[in-house]
Amino acid sequence: MALLNWRRTQDRGGEQKSSHTAPPHVHASPRAGFEDLALPLLPSLYNTARWLTRDPTEAEDLVQEAVVKALAGFAGFEPGSNFRAWIFRILRNAFLTSRSGLAARSTVALEDEIAASGTPESAMEHTTPEVELLRLSDRATLEHALEQLSPPLLEVILLCDVEEMKYREIAQVLDVPIGTVMSRIARARAELRAHLAQTGARTPHNLRVQEGGKAK
Amino acid sequence: MSDPVTDHLLDETISGLADGELSAGDLARTSQHLAVCAACTTRALQESLLQRATARAGQRYALPESFEARILQTIAARKDASAPSTPPVRAIAFGRSSVWAGALAALLLVTASGLVAHDLALRSAHTSALVTEVVDEHIAAMAVATPEVISTDRHTVKPWFQGKLPFSFNLPAALPADITLDGANLVQLSGQPTAQLIFSIGKHHASVFLRQRRELSLTDDSIHHTTERNGFHVEGFRTPELDGLAVSDADPARLHTLALAMQQAQAGE
Repeated sequence: MALLNWRRTQDRGGEQKSSHTAPPHVHASPRAGFEDLALPLLPSLYNTARWLTRDPTEAEDLVQEAVVKALAGFAGFEPGSNFRAWIFRILRNAFLTSRSGLAARSTVALEDEIAASGTPESAMEHTTPEVELLRLSDRATLEHALEQLSPPLLEVILLCDVEEMKYREIAQVLDVPIGTVMSRIARARAELRAHLAQTGARTPHNLRVQEGGKAK
Repeated sequence: MSDPVTDHLLDETISGLADGELSAGDLARTSQHLAVCAACTTRALQESLLQRATARAGQRYALPESFEARILQTIAARKDASAPSTPPVRAIAFGRSSVWAGALAALLLVTASGLVAHDLALRSAHTSALVTEVVDEHIAAMAVATPEVISTDRHTVKPWFQGKLPFSFNLPAALPADITLDGANLVQLSGQPTAQLIFSIGKHHASVFLRQRRELSLTDDSIHHTTERNGFHVEGFRTPELDGLAVSDADPARLHTLALAMQQAQAGE
């Protein structure tokens, strides 16, 4: 069977990066100043913060806090190491102690109490690629599905798919092993698929295939 | 790579394929499987489509106007405020022999203390990473409305792991009062396949992670007592074959009764 070109760096090309400024210095050059490294990352930091906090003012405060903390710790930052992972980790830690971050943790516990909100088993079934393509072409639907993800799953999918970080970088940002990154990404995508399937169940395109090809 | 029961590719492998994260060996084995498995090929295609669509949809929020200028002002203000008042460098005169003797003594001291510190730091870092990992996994599990297997019956939960884990475990025949089994997930903990058993302790939730014991583990001995992280308590325990980690935001004494019950169940008590 002919396969797609799986290498994201090849098959995405410049398409993704045109709308967002891609970080030019993932690995900091020894001579780069703080502004040289931090300013190109502001759009990415803000986009991530905005998704996580769901509030524009709080997102700005969060990015500002991360930048100030990064500046304060920049003297201890090792030149040549991964500045992007470092500042995203600062942003993530700032989020965890922010109002939204703390609220998200308590909401997580509350959500778990509501057993009825679980994903119907049928929603986990796989569809044909054509049906999937139709669903995915609706950006608003996908944005809504992303909004339904819990912060731990949302952050990993933002770092992986939007920021195009390697698993190793994501592990550095989240301070977890690569194995955890892998299982979270798989889980986040399963959740996204389930949310999209629930949406799809309300459209005429709910042509499910009972293929039984899912491993778990 | 593949699920030992269904022989289809694991979700993590499908994700790794879409993300370009498989090693050359795994990629070759995955390609071989895809060449003969239409179901997994469909899953791989869907994963790739979802990943691309997520990348587009995730780029949702543009930087507000003038925000960059404000950040620049903030940086400039912070730099001004912390402008260094460089202390004068003082020249310290030593005789040549005392310099060498002092340097040698300092070097020995630094080397010896460095080795001890490095070992302690490594151990501490591993412990800290493991505690962070189990707390994060617990929070992630709570965030997902339903576990992969939902059951209060140990005779349902335990068999669900058959073929998924390279070890077996027991669940207590009777749990301590006010503690109930809710379900379970299969997760990766420090790269090891791990059973995550989810319990309710009153109105709180707890996870007990079980994985194969690693004799050379640097972390497990040091967290045999309860550790606190961000309001969650983590308690480690061991059996001859398994490492266990219990995590919850419940009262640590209640968590201990659960950890103890799980530990004793492995011995068939």
